[in-house]
Parts: sequence; structure tokens; C-alpha cells
Amino acid sequence: MKIPRLTTLVSVAVLVVLALFPVIGISLSWLNYLFLFFIYLALANMWNLLAGYTGLICLCPHAFVGLAGYTLAIGTWVGVPFQVGLIAGGAVAALFALLISYPVFRMRGIYFAIGTLVLPEALKAWFNFWRPVGNEYQGMGAGYSVTGVAGVNLGDTYWLGLAIAAASIFVVHIILRARLGLGLTAIRDNENTAASSGINIFRLKLYSFVIAAFIMGIAGAAYYIYSPRINPVGGFNISWLLLPLMATVIGGEGIEEGPIIGAAIVTFLRFLLADYGAWSLLIQGIILVVVVAVMPQGIAGLLRQIGAYRFPLKLFQAAEGKIHKNSK
Amino acid sequence: MLETAVLSVDRVTKHFGGIVAVKDMTFEVQAGEVVGLMGPNGAGKTTLLNLIAGVYRPDSGRILFQGKDITRYAPHKICHLGIARTYQIPQPFTSLSARQNILVAATYGGKKAAGMEHDKIFDLVNLSEQKDMLARDLATVSLKRLELARALASNPTLVLLDEVAAGSTDAEIPRILDMTKQVRKMGKTIILVEHVMKVMMEAVDRIVVMDKGEKIAEGTPGEVMKDEKVLAAYFG
Repeated sequence: MKIPRLTTLVSVAVLVVLALFPVIGISLSWLNYLFLFFIYLALANMWNLLAGYTGLICLCPHAFVGLAGYTLAIGTWVGVPFQVGLIAGGAVAALFALLISYPVFRMRGIYFAIGTLVLPEALKAWFNFWRPVGNEYQGMGAGYSVTGVAGVNLGDTYWLGLAIAAASIFVVHIILRARLGLGLTAIRDNENTAASSGINIFRLKLYSFVIAAFIMGIAGAAYYIYSPRINPVGGFNISWLLLPLMATVIGGEGIEEGPIIGAAIVTFLRFLLADYGAWSLLIQGIILVVVVAVMPQGIAGLLRQIGAYRFPLKLFQAAEGKIHKNSK
Repeated sequence: MLETAVLSVDRVTKHFGGIVAVKDMTFEVQAGEVVGLMGPNGAGKTTLLNLIAGVYRPDSGRILFQGKDITRYAPHKICHLGIARTYQIPQPFTSLSARQNILVAATYGGKKAAGMEHDKIFDLVNLSEQKDMLARDLATVSLKRLELARALASNPTLVLLDEVAAGSTDAEIPRILDMTKQVRKMGKTIILVEHVMKVMMEAVDRIVVMDKGEKIAEGTPGEVMKDEKVLAAYFG
């Protein structure tokens, strides 16, 4: 039997260990932290795919999250089980991305950013008065509860989150090593040269955008299975943009492991600053500015620059060499 | 004959606001020719290249490539059909290596027959030592050669070279002439914008001279250099 590469083995091992957490008695609060970390990681990976690798500064993740969440919630009111609603949510987000792509891709750079920022606000306003199912106002302000999830416990949602996070890492990994990844990097580095080298800019940006929207949608819908109540302010909240943005920038834009580091920090900060209300926003803002000023390449970028990976990498390669030598 | 020409520019005009950059431009390039495009600064040479490459759309007129009307085609489609271009100021993919830079063009350049092997392309442009260096770490001189390498990687029929010799020392000129000759030997057609006279005179079959957006002369290097209008345009 061919022995797979060490990196694959290690990744699978980490995945297995994480998957065992709910059954080996890890505390509920840790499962909570990790679930949120997984969701933020999925969002950050996708935001990194768009901003770090395609050059698209997308300011509408909260549109994708909100739409997916609402699809899930309203779905459960009309007999669509939440498992289907989860995927349907991703699909609706992807469809939305497809629909807005034509107008927003015509805008370059900063205009694309502003154009995408407007959309979630419009959706928030829309969902404030659009009540397709249920009575006038259920509970606080125009929200919907997600029904049919009573049987889902924290362990189950944890596994869902883990699967989504793993999928997001896997998707980025595959894309970067495929033709699409080369094309996206070319677009990011120099759009004009990319076009004159035969790249259909619109089409590649679209692939990237729709894939990111789908996975962000699924991550968002998963959150609303975990916290089964959605309203316009929450679903289309700007934190769904700020969290992946901060995670990507702090972790390292355009670097594969950046979002992992960034999402961990962002999750940590969120809980650390939870009691400080408005101060938490200020503090996070300051951290963001400091990071951009002092290490624009992010933590992962910094680690790569100072060669922090060199020693572990050597150990890794030595171990890999030994394993494969012994297997011959 | 319009039918046999590889490229036919037919009364092409382009305005930018109130300025006419290219006016009623007409000329043809036959297969295998090396045509030079000459003229004082601001004559419209790069604009013309950009029009051919699909970056700008003509306000009037047509551009035909191998008989096909490509006037309104997007740049990537034009690349797929077989036109490649270099940039006057090198525009590489900065975070990619030289090898990856040409891989982009080879991968996305269209479903033509396989072009030259990449290693041979690097030999032709004399970048073999720097194959695995990142574009952002390369000197401008190397980047200019990378432009040509990337253009060749998409296996084009027509190559548009924009000032490939600019900033070169006298010692480098024979090397550039040699590169142009080799590309020509591959059966490709070349349009060459150049200010370096030695390259212009020795590399081309025919020169088209522009001034203020219009064609003022056309002919062999010898003919063009004696043309009164050309001398007037350059020296007043």
C-alpha cells in the first residue's frame, strides 16, 4: 500500500482528533468556541480566496450569510428540513452572487467594494418588511425562529461546523493547485496582462465569487442551526463582514494558512471582549490598524518571512524521508 | 489582398475625449513579415497596438485578423485567435516565478497546437538562469525578455512587440536582433514598435510611419528614411 504524504497524514490526524472532541468529554464551552472558530474559519478562507487570491475585496459576506440563514429559516416553516435548507441556503447565496456579478464586476477595485457593501443593507431593509410565512411580528423585530432543530445538540452542530471548516480548507487547497488558482493569481497580480494572456477575467472572477458565496452561505446557515433564530439585524449584520476580513488581514492575506491563524485570534478576541460592548469594536479596530501598519503581510506572512517554518519543515521532511525509506 | 493578409487594419479611428489618437489608419501585414511601426512620441503607435490587441475599441473602421473581423473582440479572445503582445513597461505577474508567468499564457492562451517547450522559450530570450526567480525580483532588462517569453508561450501567429529594445545598451542590441530573427524563423508574423533605430532598420522588412495619429509614410527602411514627410515629423 502506498504510504500517503506526511502532510496528508497529519491533516487527517488533526481532523480525527477534533472530531473526537464531543465524545471524549471536552467541555461544552470549548465546543462552543470551536464551533464558532470553524464558522469564522470557513468565512475567512472564502474571503481570502476572493481578496487574497482573486483581488476582489468583497464587502458583502453578510448578504450571503443572511440570505442563506433566511432560506434555511423560512424553509423550515414550509416543510423543508434544515438539512436541505442548509444546502439550499448555500445555493441561494451562490445564485445571488451570480445575479449581482454582472453589474458589480464592471466596477473595478474600490468601486466594487462600495457596490458590494450596499447590497446587504438593501437586503436588511427588504427583510424588515417581507414576511412570506408566519404572523406579523414573531418575537422581536421581523425575525424567524428556525423550527425542527430541537433534536440537534451541540455535538452535532460541532461536527457540522468541523466539516464545513475542513471543506473550506480543502476547496481553497484544490483551487490553488488547479488551473483556476493560477488564473486567479494572474488576475490579482495584473488584470490587463492576464486578459492579454487569454484569461477570461469575468468568468474566472465569477467562479471564485460563486464558490465563495456558496460556502459562506453554508457556513452562515450552519450558524443559524446552532443559534436557531434569525432577524434582519443579525442575519445581515456587518460583523459577518468584519470577522472574516479581520481574520484574513491579521492572519495574512493571500497566504493559505493565514485564515486559520486569523480566525483563531478573531474567535479568541470575540470571547475576550464580549463583556466590553462597544469597546470591543474599538479595540478590534485598533488591532486591525496596528496589524496593517506594522505587519501588512499578516502573522502567517511574518512567520514565513522570518523562516519560522524552516525548522519544523526540516523535521517534517526528515520524518517523511524516514517513513518512505522504511516502506521500500 | 485583404484575403491573404494576416492582419488588415482598415480605416481605424480612435478618439479619447477631444483628442484623436489614431486617425483613419490603414495598413496590412502579410504572413511571415516583420513590419516596423515608427513615429515621434505621441504618434499613436501604442494606441494602435492596443486597438489591435482589443484593449481599446475603434470608434470607426475595422481590424481583420486572418480574414476574421476582430474589431470588437475582447483581449482574451484575441489572444485565443493567435495575437500576443508585449508591454512597453513590463507588466509581469509579480508574485509568480518566470516559469509560472509563461505557464499562465501557455495554459490560458487558447486551444492552439502545443507551442515551444518552455525551457526552449527561456533559452531563446536568454532567461534560463532566472527561470525560477519571482518576477518581482527580476531586473527590468530581464522583465523585458520575460514579456517576449510570455508572448511566445501562447503560441501566437502574430506578435506585437512594444519597444522591446528600449533602454538596451549597444552590446545588447545584437542579442535582440537575434531574438527577433528566431521568432521570425518560427514562422510568426511580427509588428514591432521601436525607437532604437538600429533594431528598426535591421529587423524589419517594411516600416509604417505615423505622426499625430495618421500614417505619413510606408515602405522599406531605405525608402522611409529618405521620405521628406518622415524627416519633417522627426526634425521639424
